[in-house]
Amino acid sequence: MNRTGDPTEPERQDASLHELAAAYALDALDEFDRARFERALAASPQLRAEVDAFRSAATGLSDALPAVAPPASLKTSLFERLDEVPQERAADASAAPSTRAEERQSGSSSIADRPSDGGSIDELAARRGRRQRTVLLAAAAAVVLIVGAVVGVNWAGPNGWGVQREIAQLAEAPDAERVTQQVDGTEVTLIWSAEEERSAVIAEGLPDVGGDRTYELWYIDESGAVSAGTFDVRDDEAWRILEGEFRPGVVVGITVEPAGGSPQPTTDPLVLFET
Amino acid sequence: MLDVMGDGGEYGAARAATLEELLAATAAGDRGAFSLLYDQTAPRVFGLIRRLLVDAAQAEEVTQDVYLEAWQTAARFDPARGSAVTWLLTLAHRRAVDRVRASQASRERDLKTGMRDLDVPVDEVSETVEVRIEHERVTGALAGLSEVQRQCLSLAYYDGCSQSEIASRLNVPLGTVKTRLRDGMIRLRELLGVTT
Repeated sequence: MNRTGDPTEPERQDASLHELAAAYALDALDEFDRARFERALAASPQLRAEVDAFRSAATGLSDALPAVAPPASLKTSLFERLDEVPQERAADASAAPSTRAEERQSGSSSIADRPSDGGSIDELAARRGRRQRTVLLAAAAAVVLIVGAVVGVNWAGPNGWGVQREIAQLAEAPDAERVTQQVDGTEVTLIWSAEEERSAVIAEGLPDVGGDRTYELWYIDESGAVSAGTFDVRDDEAWRILEGEFRPGVVVGITVEPAGGSPQPTTDPLVLFET
Repeated sequence: MLDVMGDGGEYGAARAATLEELLAATAAGDRGAFSLLYDQTAPRVFGLIRRLLVDAAQAEEVTQDVYLEAWQTAARFDPARGSAVTWLLTLAHRRAVDRVRASQASRERDLKTGMRDLDVPVDEVSETVEVRIEHERVTGALAGLSEVQRQCLSLAYYDGCSQSEIASRLNVPLGTVKTRLRDGMIRLRELLGVTT
Protein backbone atom coordinates (compact mmCIF):
# COMPACT_ATOMS: atom_id res chain seq x y z
CA MET A 1 0.00 0.00 0.00
CA ASN A 2 1.49 3.26 -1.05
CA ARG A 3 0.21 6.73 -0.55
CA THR A 4 1.36 9.84 -2.28
CA GLY A 5 0.24 12.08 0.53
CA ASP A 6 0.14 11.57 4.23
CA PRO A 7 -3.53 11.53 5.22
CA THR A 8 -2.66 13.01 8.59
CA GLU A 9 -1.60 16.21 6.88
CA PRO A 10 -4.79 17.68 5.46
CA GLU A 11 -3.22 21.09 4.96
CA ARG A 12 -0.63 19.73 2.61
CA GLN A 13 -3.31 17.87 0.68
CA ASP A 14 -5.35 21.02 0.31
CA ALA A 15 -2.36 22.89 -1.01
CA SER A 16 -1.63 20.24 -3.61
CA LEU A 17 -5.27 20.12 -4.71
CA HIS A 18 -5.38 23.89 -4.85
CA GLU A 19 -2.48 23.78 -7.28
CA LEU A 20 -4.47 21.56 -9.63
CA ALA A 21 -7.30 24.06 -10.08
CA ALA A 22 -5.82 25.91 -13.06
CA ALA A 23 -5.01 22.73 -14.95
CA TYR A 24 -8.45 21.36 -14.11
CA ALA A 25 -10.11 24.44 -15.59
CA LEU A 26 -8.09 23.85 -18.77
CA ASP A 27 -9.13 20.16 -18.82
CA ALA A 28 -5.40 19.41 -18.66
CA LEU A 29 -5.35 17.07 -15.68
CA ASP A 30 -4.52 13.46 -16.32
CA GLU A 31 -7.32 11.03 -15.44
CA PHE A 32 -6.17 10.22 -11.93
CA ASP A 33 -5.64 13.80 -10.90
CA ARG A 34 -8.96 14.75 -12.47
CA ALA A 35 -10.76 12.04 -10.53
CA ARG A 36 -9.29 13.01 -7.19
CA PHE A 37 -9.72 16.71 -7.88
CA GLU A 38 -13.40 16.32 -8.76
CA ARG A 39 -13.94 14.33 -5.64
CA ALA A 40 -12.52 17.17 -3.56
CA LEU A 41 -14.32 19.80 -5.61
CA ALA A 42 -17.72 18.46 -4.69
CA ALA A 43 -17.03 19.35 -1.07
CA SER A 44 -15.07 22.57 -1.38
CA PRO A 45 -16.61 25.96 -2.20
CA GLN A 46 -13.10 27.48 -2.20
CA LEU A 47 -11.89 25.13 -4.91
CA ARG A 48 -15.05 25.81 -6.90
CA ALA A 49 -14.56 29.56 -6.76
CA GLU A 50 -10.99 29.05 -7.87
CA VAL A 51 -12.04 26.86 -10.79
CA ASP A 52 -14.79 29.28 -11.80
CA ALA A 53 -12.31 32.14 -12.02
CA PHE A 54 -9.87 30.09 -14.07
CA ARG A 55 -12.67 29.04 -16.40
CA SER A 56 -13.60 32.65 -17.00
CA ALA A 57 -9.95 33.31 -17.84
CA ALA A 58 -9.90 30.30 -20.17
CA THR A 59 -12.91 31.77 -21.98
CA GLY A 60 -10.60 34.64 -22.80
CA LEU A 61 -8.32 32.17 -24.57
CA SER A 62 -11.19 31.12 -26.82
CA ASP A 63 -11.64 34.78 -27.83
CA ALA A 64 -8.44 34.35 -29.80
CA LEU A 65 -9.96 31.68 -32.02
CA PRO A 66 -11.87 32.47 -35.20
CA ALA A 67 -15.62 31.89 -34.95
CA VAL A 68 -16.80 29.22 -37.38
CA ALA A 69 -20.45 28.94 -38.31
CA PRO A 70 -21.61 25.32 -38.11
CA PRO A 71 -23.67 23.97 -41.01
CA ALA A 72 -27.38 24.82 -40.81
CA SER A 73 -28.22 21.11 -40.78
CA LEU A 74 -26.63 20.85 -37.36
CA LYS A 75 -29.22 23.12 -35.78
CA THR A 76 -32.07 21.36 -37.54
CA SER A 77 -31.08 17.93 -36.31
CA LEU A 78 -30.29 19.31 -32.85
CA PHE A 79 -33.82 20.65 -32.49
CA GLU A 80 -35.27 17.41 -33.83
CA ARG A 81 -33.55 15.61 -30.97
CA LEU A 82 -34.73 17.87 -28.15
CA ASP A 83 -37.75 15.69 -27.52
CA GLU A 84 -35.49 12.71 -26.85
CA VAL A 85 -33.72 14.33 -23.96
CA PRO A 86 -35.70 15.21 -20.85
CA GLN A 87 -34.69 18.50 -19.29
CA GLU A 88 -33.56 18.71 -15.72
CA ARG A 89 -35.65 21.12 -13.74
CA ALA A 90 -34.07 23.20 -11.05
CA ALA A 91 -35.97 21.20 -8.46
CA ASP A 92 -34.97 17.95 -10.17
CA ALA A 93 -31.37 18.40 -9.24
CA SER A 94 -32.07 16.14 -6.28
CA ALA A 95 -35.29 14.45 -7.34
CA ALA A 96 -34.93 12.41 -10.49
CA PRO A 97 -34.10 8.96 -9.21
CA SER A 98 -35.96 6.99 -11.82
CA THR A 99 -34.25 8.34 -14.93
CA ARG A 100 -30.89 8.28 -13.22
CA ALA A 101 -31.45 4.72 -12.14
CA GLU A 102 -32.28 3.69 -15.69
CA GLU A 103 -29.21 5.44 -16.97
CA ARG A 104 -27.02 3.62 -14.54
CA GLN A 105 -28.61 0.27 -15.17
CA SER A 106 -28.15 0.56 -18.89
CA GLY A 107 -24.58 1.26 -17.88
CA SER A 108 -23.15 2.17 -21.22
CA SER A 109 -21.39 5.40 -20.45
CA SER A 110 -17.75 5.44 -21.37
CA ILE A 111 -15.36 7.96 -19.94
CA ALA A 112 -15.63 9.97 -23.09
CA ASP A 113 -19.41 10.06 -23.10
CA ARG A 114 -20.15 10.72 -19.52
CA PRO A 115 -21.63 14.13 -19.03
CA SER A 116 -19.11 16.67 -17.87
CA ASP A 117 -19.76 18.64 -14.75
CA GLY A 118 -20.40 21.73 -16.80
CA GLY A 119 -19.65 24.05 -13.96
CA SER A 120 -21.96 22.36 -11.54
CA ILE A 121 -19.91 20.13 -9.39
CA ASP A 122 -22.76 19.68 -6.97
CA GLU A 123 -23.89 17.08 -9.41
CA LEU A 124 -21.37 14.56 -8.17
CA ALA A 125 -22.61 14.86 -4.63
CA ALA A 126 -26.22 14.83 -5.77
CA ARG A 127 -25.63 11.72 -7.82
CA ARG A 128 -24.19 10.00 -4.80
CA GLY A 129 -27.33 10.76 -2.84
CA ARG A 130 -29.63 9.53 -5.57
CA ARG A 131 -27.65 6.37 -5.99
CA GLN A 132 -28.92 5.06 -2.67
CA ARG A 133 -32.42 4.69 -4.10
CA THR A 134 -31.26 2.44 -6.88
CA VAL A 135 -29.56 0.02 -4.57
CA LEU A 136 -32.07 -2.81 -4.47
CA LEU A 137 -32.51 -2.84 -8.21
CA ALA A 138 -28.77 -2.81 -8.73
CA ALA A 139 -28.20 -5.70 -6.35
CA ALA A 140 -30.87 -7.77 -8.04
CA ALA A 141 -29.37 -7.13 -11.44
CA ALA A 142 -25.91 -8.06 -10.22
CA VAL A 143 -27.13 -11.38 -8.86
CA VAL A 144 -28.79 -12.23 -12.13
CA LEU A 145 -25.58 -11.38 -13.94
CA ILE A 146 -23.54 -13.59 -11.67
CA VAL A 147 -25.83 -16.56 -11.56
CA GLY A 148 -25.89 -16.49 -15.33
CA ALA A 149 -22.14 -16.47 -15.62
CA VAL A 150 -21.29 -19.05 -12.97
CA VAL A 151 -22.41 -22.03 -15.01
CA GLY A 152 -19.56 -24.00 -16.45
CA VAL A 153 -16.71 -22.48 -14.50
CA ASN A 154 -14.43 -24.46 -12.19
CA TRP A 155 -14.21 -23.78 -8.49
CA ALA A 156 -10.50 -23.20 -8.39
CA GLY A 157 -8.47 -20.80 -10.47
CA PRO A 158 -8.48 -17.06 -10.80
CA ASN A 159 -12.04 -16.86 -12.14
CA GLY A 160 -13.31 -19.92 -10.33
CA TRP A 161 -16.47 -20.45 -8.33
CA GLY A 162 -14.72 -19.44 -5.14
CA VAL A 163 -14.23 -15.90 -6.31
CA GLN A 164 -17.57 -15.84 -8.07
CA ARG A 165 -19.39 -16.94 -4.95
CA GLU A 166 -17.65 -14.26 -2.93
CA ILE A 167 -18.63 -11.65 -5.49
CA ALA A 168 -22.20 -12.95 -5.53
CA GLN A 169 -22.32 -12.57 -1.75
CA LEU A 170 -20.97 -9.06 -2.06
CA ALA A 171 -23.65 -8.26 -4.64
CA GLU A 172 -26.31 -9.53 -2.25
CA ALA A 173 -25.32 -7.09 0.48
CA PRO A 174 -28.30 -4.86 1.29
CA ASP A 175 -26.45 -1.75 0.15
CA ALA A 176 -24.66 -3.29 -2.85
CA GLU A 177 -24.37 -1.15 -5.95
CA ARG A 178 -23.15 -1.87 -9.44
CA VAL A 179 -22.03 0.16 -12.45
CA THR A 180 -20.99 -1.14 -15.87
CA GLN A 181 -18.84 0.82 -18.28
CA GLN A 182 -17.83 0.11 -21.85
CA VAL A 183 -14.10 0.04 -22.55
CA ASP A 184 -13.30 -0.26 -26.22
CA GLY A 185 -16.36 -2.40 -26.78
CA THR A 186 -15.74 -4.61 -23.76
CA GLU A 187 -17.64 -4.42 -20.49
CA VAL A 188 -16.21 -3.78 -17.07
CA THR A 189 -18.49 -3.90 -14.03
CA LEU A 190 -17.75 -2.65 -10.54
CA ILE A 191 -19.78 -3.95 -7.61
CA TRP A 192 -19.37 -2.43 -4.19
CA SER A 193 -20.83 -2.41 -0.72
CA ALA A 194 -19.99 0.20 1.88
CA GLU A 195 -21.23 -2.09 4.64
CA GLU A 196 -19.02 -4.95 3.51
CA GLU A 197 -16.19 -2.46 2.90
CA ARG A 198 -15.35 -4.36 -0.25
CA SER A 199 -15.62 -3.99 -3.99
CA ALA A 200 -15.13 -6.32 -6.95
CA VAL A 201 -14.48 -6.04 -10.64
CA ILE A 202 -15.87 -8.24 -13.39
CA ALA A 203 -14.33 -7.69 -16.81
CA GLU A 204 -15.52 -9.40 -19.94
CA GLY A 205 -13.65 -9.28 -23.20
CA LEU A 206 -10.61 -7.29 -22.05
CA PRO A 207 -7.54 -8.32 -24.06
CA ASP A 208 -4.88 -10.52 -22.46
CA VAL A 209 -1.93 -8.16 -21.98
CA GLY A 210 0.65 -10.96 -21.99
CA GLY A 211 3.09 -12.37 -19.43
CA ASP A 212 5.18 -9.25 -18.95
CA ARG A 213 2.27 -6.98 -18.16
CA THR A 214 -0.77 -7.08 -15.94
CA TYR A 215 -3.93 -5.15 -15.11
CA GLU A 216 -3.77 -3.26 -11.84
CA LEU A 217 -6.64 -1.96 -9.72
CA TRP A 218 -6.54 1.31 -7.79
CA TYR A 219 -8.46 2.99 -5.03
CA ILE A 220 -8.14 6.72 -5.64
CA ASP A 221 -9.03 9.53 -3.26
CA GLU A 222 -7.86 13.09 -2.60
CA SER A 223 -4.49 11.85 -1.40
CA GLY A 224 -3.76 9.82 -4.52
CA ALA A 225 -3.92 6.26 -5.83
CA VAL A 226 -3.42 3.13 -3.72
CA SER A 227 -2.96 -0.24 -5.38
CA ALA A 228 -5.84 -2.67 -4.84
CA GLY A 229 -4.11 -5.64 -6.47
CA THR A 230 -3.47 -6.93 -9.97
CA PHE A 231 -5.33 -9.30 -12.25
CA ASP A 232 -4.89 -11.07 -15.54
CA VAL A 233 -7.54 -11.97 -18.06
CA ARG A 234 -8.22 -15.68 -18.63
CA ASP A 235 -10.59 -16.94 -21.26
CA ASP A 236 -11.69 -13.40 -22.00
CA GLU A 237 -12.82 -12.65 -18.50
CA ALA A 238 -11.61 -11.67 -15.07
CA TRP A 239 -13.30 -11.69 -11.66
CA ARG A 240 -11.49 -9.97 -8.85
CA ILE A 241 -12.22 -8.78 -5.33
CA LEU A 242 -10.19 -5.63 -4.73
CA GLU A 243 -7.53 -5.75 -2.03
CA GLY A 244 -7.83 -3.28 0.78
CA GLU A 245 -10.80 -1.54 2.28
CA PHE A 246 -13.51 0.03 0.15
CA ARG A 247 -14.67 3.41 1.42
CA PRO A 248 -17.74 5.10 -0.09
CA GLY A 249 -16.93 7.89 -2.48
CA VAL A 250 -13.57 6.47 -3.50
CA VAL A 251 -12.78 6.27 -7.21
CA VAL A 252 -11.78 2.87 -8.62
CA GLY A 253 -9.44 2.76 -11.61
CA ILE A 254 -7.78 0.10 -13.76
CA THR A 255 -4.44 0.51 -15.55
CA VAL A 256 -2.04 -1.73 -17.44
CA GLU A 257 1.28 -2.10 -15.58
CA PRO A 258 4.48 -4.14 -15.88
CA ALA A 259 4.14 -7.72 -14.54
CA GLY A 260 3.89 -7.75 -10.76
CA GLY A 261 2.21 -4.36 -10.69
CA SER A 262 3.47 -0.89 -9.84
CA PRO A 263 3.39 1.03 -6.56
CA GLN A 264 1.82 3.96 -8.43
CA PRO A 265 0.01 3.97 -11.76
CA THR A 266 2.37 4.48 -14.70
CA THR A 267 -0.23 4.56 -17.49
CA ASP A 268 -3.53 6.29 -18.06
CA PRO A 269 -6.50 4.40 -16.66
CA LEU A 270 -8.58 2.30 -19.04
CA VAL A 271 -11.60 3.09 -16.94
CA LEU A 272 -12.54 4.99 -13.79
CA PHE A 273 -15.56 4.35 -11.58
CA GLU A 274 -17.01 6.95 -9.26
CA THR A 275 -18.67 5.43 -6.23
CA MET B 1 -36.54 26.96 -39.12
CA LEU B 2 -39.68 28.65 -37.84
CA ASP B 3 -41.18 25.43 -36.66
CA VAL B 4 -38.45 24.90 -34.14
CA MET B 5 -39.59 28.04 -32.42
CA GLY B 6 -43.02 26.52 -32.10
CA ASP B 7 -43.10 26.58 -28.34
CA GLY B 8 -43.77 30.29 -28.62
CA GLY B 9 -41.95 31.18 -25.46
CA GLU B 10 -41.28 34.65 -24.28
CA TYR B 11 -38.23 34.88 -26.50
CA GLY B 12 -39.87 33.38 -29.57
CA ALA B 13 -40.16 36.90 -30.91
CA ALA B 14 -36.76 38.40 -31.27
CA ARG B 15 -35.98 40.91 -28.59
CA ALA B 16 -32.75 41.88 -27.04
CA ALA B 17 -32.02 39.47 -24.25
CA THR B 18 -28.74 38.63 -22.61
CA LEU B 19 -27.30 35.17 -23.10
CA GLU B 20 -27.82 34.60 -19.38
CA GLU B 21 -31.53 35.36 -19.74
CA LEU B 22 -31.76 33.09 -22.76
CA LEU B 23 -30.09 30.28 -20.85
CA ALA B 24 -32.45 30.75 -17.92
CA ALA B 25 -35.44 30.62 -20.29
CA THR B 26 -33.94 27.52 -21.93
CA ALA B 27 -33.91 25.87 -18.52
CA ALA B 28 -37.65 26.43 -18.39
CA GLY B 29 -38.12 24.63 -21.71
CA ASP B 30 -38.36 27.69 -23.96
CA ARG B 31 -37.21 26.50 -27.39
CA GLY B 32 -37.36 29.96 -28.88
CA ALA B 33 -34.85 31.15 -26.30
CA PHE B 34 -32.68 28.12 -26.92
CA SER B 35 -32.78 28.82 -30.64
CA LEU B 36 -31.59 32.40 -30.11
CA LEU B 37 -28.95 31.20 -27.68
CA TYR B 38 -27.73 28.73 -30.27
CA ASP B 39 -27.61 31.36 -33.03
CA GLN B 40 -25.60 33.73 -30.91
CA THR B 41 -23.10 31.24 -29.52
CA ALA B 42 -22.75 28.36 -31.98
CA PRO B 43 -20.02 29.94 -34.16
CA ARG B 44 -17.88 30.44 -31.11
CA VAL B 45 -18.56 27.00 -29.66
CA PHE B 46 -18.01 25.34 -33.03
CA GLY B 47 -14.84 27.38 -33.59
CA LEU B 48 -13.36 26.07 -30.35
CA ILE B 49 -14.37 22.49 -31.01
CA ARG B 50 -13.02 22.64 -34.57
CA ARG B 51 -9.71 23.87 -33.21
CA LEU B 52 -9.49 20.92 -30.82
CA LEU B 53 -10.82 18.17 -33.02
CA VAL B 54 -9.83 19.25 -36.55
CA ASP B 55 -12.00 16.51 -38.08
CA ALA B 56 -15.14 18.34 -39.22
CA ALA B 57 -17.56 15.44 -38.81
CA GLN B 58 -16.42 14.75 -35.26
CA ALA B 59 -16.54 18.45 -34.44
CA GLU B 60 -20.16 18.65 -35.61
CA GLU B 61 -21.10 15.60 -33.59
CA VAL B 62 -19.51 16.99 -30.43
CA THR B 63 -21.08 20.40 -31.00
CA GLN B 64 -24.50 18.83 -31.19
CA ASP B 65 -23.79 16.85 -28.00
CA VAL B 66 -22.73 20.05 -26.25
CA TYR B 67 -25.99 21.80 -27.10
CA LEU B 68 -28.04 18.77 -26.16
CA GLU B 69 -26.29 18.75 -22.82
CA ALA B 70 -26.89 22.50 -22.51
CA TRP B 71 -30.60 21.96 -23.21
CA GLN B 72 -30.74 19.18 -20.66
CA THR B 73 -28.77 20.80 -17.88
CA ALA B 74 -29.44 24.53 -18.35
CA ALA B 75 -31.04 24.54 -14.90
CA ARG B 76 -27.60 24.03 -13.41
CA PHE B 77 -26.31 27.30 -14.79
CA ASP B 78 -25.60 29.72 -11.98
CA PRO B 79 -24.90 33.29 -13.17
CA ALA B 80 -23.11 34.00 -9.91
CA ARG B 81 -20.38 31.60 -10.96
CA GLY B 82 -19.62 32.88 -14.46
CA SER B 83 -21.11 34.00 -17.76
CA ALA B 84 -23.35 31.94 -20.04
CA VAL B 85 -20.57 31.87 -22.63
CA THR B 86 -18.11 30.50 -20.10
CA TRP B 87 -20.64 27.86 -19.11
CA LEU B 88 -21.15 26.78 -22.71
CA LEU B 89 -17.47 26.87 -23.60
CA THR B 90 -16.66 24.84 -20.50
CA LEU B 91 -19.04 22.12 -21.68
CA ALA B 92 -17.59 22.35 -25.18
CA HIS B 93 -13.94 22.22 -24.15
CA ARG B 94 -14.45 19.31 -21.80
CA ARG B 95 -16.36 17.24 -24.33
CA ALA B 96 -13.93 17.96 -27.15
CA VAL B 97 -10.93 17.11 -24.96
CA ASP B 98 -12.59 13.91 -23.78
CA ARG B 99 -13.08 12.97 -27.42
CA VAL B 100 -9.45 13.74 -28.26
CA ARG B 101 -8.23 11.63 -25.35
CA ALA B 102 -10.58 8.75 -26.04
CA SER B 103 -9.36 8.36 -29.59
CA GLN B 104 -5.76 8.77 -28.46
CA ALA B 105 -6.18 6.17 -25.74
CA SER B 106 -7.53 3.50 -28.06
CA ARG B 107 -4.83 4.28 -30.59
CA GLU B 108 -2.12 4.06 -27.95
CA ARG B 109 -3.45 0.82 -26.57
CA ASP B 110 -3.45 -0.69 -30.03
CA LEU B 111 0.15 0.35 -30.42
CA LYS B 112 1.14 -0.97 -27.02
CA THR B 113 -0.43 -4.34 -27.68
CA GLY B 114 1.18 -4.64 -31.08
CA MET B 115 4.60 -3.14 -30.72
CA ARG B 116 5.37 -1.79 -27.34
CA ASP B 117 8.85 -0.47 -27.93
CA LEU B 118 7.90 1.67 -30.84
CA ASP B 119 9.83 4.91 -30.71
CA VAL B 120 7.57 7.90 -30.43
CA PRO B 121 8.82 10.93 -32.34
CA VAL B 122 9.69 13.49 -29.70
CA ASP B 123 9.36 16.71 -31.59
CA GLU B 124 6.12 17.17 -33.43
CA VAL B 125 5.52 20.21 -31.31
CA SER B 126 6.33 23.41 -33.03
CA GLU B 127 3.63 23.66 -35.65
CA THR B 128 0.80 22.90 -33.23
CA VAL B 129 1.93 25.42 -30.68
CA GLU B 130 1.52 28.32 -33.04
CA VAL B 131 -1.88 29.83 -32.51
CA ARG B 132 -3.34 32.57 -34.58
CA ILE B 133 -4.22 35.38 -32.28
CA GLU B 134 -7.07 37.54 -33.48
CA HIS B 135 -8.68 39.16 -30.54
CA GLU B 136 -6.91 42.27 -29.36
CA ARG B 137 -7.66 41.96 -25.70
CA VAL B 138 -6.44 38.42 -25.66
CA THR B 139 -3.46 39.30 -27.79
CA GLY B 140 -2.58 41.88 -25.19
CA ALA B 141 -3.14 39.45 -22.34
CA LEU B 142 -1.21 36.64 -23.96
CA ALA B 143 1.63 39.04 -24.64
CA GLY B 144 1.78 39.57 -20.90
CA LEU B 145 2.68 35.91 -20.38
CA SER B 146 6.15 34.52 -20.67
CA GLU B 147 6.90 32.56 -23.82
CA VAL B 148 6.98 29.24 -21.98
CA GLN B 149 3.72 29.98 -20.15
CA ARG B 150 2.04 30.88 -23.43
CA GLN B 151 3.30 27.68 -24.99
CA CYS B 152 1.94 25.50 -22.17
CA LEU B 153 -1.44 27.25 -22.07
CA SER B 154 -1.76 26.92 -25.84
CA LEU B 155 -1.01 23.21 -25.83
CA ALA B 156 -3.54 22.68 -23.06
CA TYR B 157 -6.37 24.88 -24.24
CA TYR B 158 -6.07 24.87 -28.02
CA ASP B 159 -4.69 21.37 -28.50
CA GLY B 160 -6.32 19.56 -25.59
CA CYS B 161 -3.06 18.18 -24.21
CA SER B 162 -2.90 16.93 -20.64
CA GLN B 163 -0.08 18.07 -18.37
CA SER B 164 1.89 14.90 -18.92
CA GLU B 165 1.41 15.11 -22.68
CA ILE B 166 2.74 18.65 -22.62
CA ALA B 167 5.72 17.48 -20.59
CA SER B 168 6.61 14.75 -23.05
CA ARG B 169 6.02 16.96 -26.07
CA LEU B 170 8.20 19.75 -24.75
CA ASN B 171 10.60 17.31 -23.13
CA VAL B 172 10.50 19.12 -19.80
CA PRO B 173 9.71 17.70 -16.34
CA LEU B 174 6.04 17.36 -15.39
CA GLY B 175 6.56 19.60 -12.37
CA THR B 176 7.79 22.36 -14.64
CA VAL B 177 4.68 22.08 -16.79
CA LYS B 178 2.43 22.23 -13.74
CA THR B 179 4.15 25.38 -12.53
CA ARG B 180 4.01 27.06 -15.92
CA LEU B 181 0.32 26.25 -16.37
CA ARG B 182 -0.60 27.46 -12.95
CA ASP B 183 1.47 30.63 -13.03
CA GLY B 184 0.32 31.32 -16.59
CA MET B 185 -3.35 30.97 -15.66
CA ILE B 186 -2.97 33.18 -12.61
CA ARG B 187 -1.30 35.82 -14.76
CA LEU B 188 -3.96 35.49 -17.46
CA ARG B 189 -6.68 35.82 -14.86
CA GLU B 190 -5.12 39.09 -13.69
CA LEU B 191 -4.55 40.40 -17.19
CA LEU B 192 -8.14 39.71 -18.19
CA GLY B 193 -9.40 41.26 -15.00
CA VAL B 194 -11.23 38.17 -13.77
CA THR B 195 -12.13 38.52 -10.14
CA THR B 196 -12.04 35.52 -7.86
